[in-house]
Amino acid sequence: MKRIEVKLSLAVVAPLLDVIKAVSESLDDQLAAAVQLERIDVDLRKAWRDELVASQNGDVQSLLALFDSDFFASGVVNFDEDNADAILRACAAVRLRLKDHYLNDMADEALESGEVALEVLTVDQRRYFMCYLFLATVQELVIEHLEPSVS
Amino acid sequence: MTIDEAQTTTAPISETAETTALVGPWKVVVLNDPVNLMSYVVLVFRKVFGFGESRARKHMLEVHEVGRSIVWCGLREQAEHFAFILQQWHLTAILERNETD
Repeated sequence: MKRIEVKLSLAVVAPLLDVIKAVSESLDDQLAAAVQLERIDVDLRKAWRDELVASQNGDVQSLLALFDSDFFASGVVNFDEDNADAILRACAAVRLRLKDHYLNDMADEALESGEVALEVLTVDQRRYFMCYLFLATVQELVIEHLEPSVS
Repeated sequence: MTIDEAQTTTAPISETAETTALVGPWKVVVLNDPVNLMSYVVLVFRKVFGFGESRARKHMLEVHEVGRSIVWCGLREQAEHFAFILQQWHLTAILERNETD
């Protein structure tokens, strides 16, 4: 099984984890991305949505589980083929939530390019934006090392 | 790329094994979003539909540049399945009736 270990700077990442945890918890039973179910049978919509929420919750738990007591002792997180898909989806979910609820003042183009003047952001916006970038970096690492054919 | 690498690189034979044909009564359409990474969208298309790299990238670029891409057409039940899986991956996927059928 392919597996990668990534050593992160605790000083940099630890402050972001509180934000990621809080944003993850804010999802609760809400979907990160709005889904359009108009074409889905009315009887099916609730089950459809509930299954998406359950899937999202499981993925987010997988992401948060990376940052356990071992991580705070070593600064190392492990990705492998078993947790890669869940981690990728969870990062997407939290990034979507960050964009919709905490970074909605920022232009899409700026978020896509990452070219943002940090000095014009408030302290809170800066932390949310750093989380947004950090989660994108996690996704890029997983895609590059565990899915090399698509990087 | 070195010469050795060039000599040992094999081109994909074809993408005829891919599961999709863009005909059928229901379309699965993916809409653009400003959040998901291009490499992530390519990965999702490859995983969900079994697309080859170039086809997945073509659809990703269409989503990015045009705002939408029809990624699959066919029977309703299967279209619902694909739309659900894409939504699990947090892509904005919708179903549309294929008016040309």
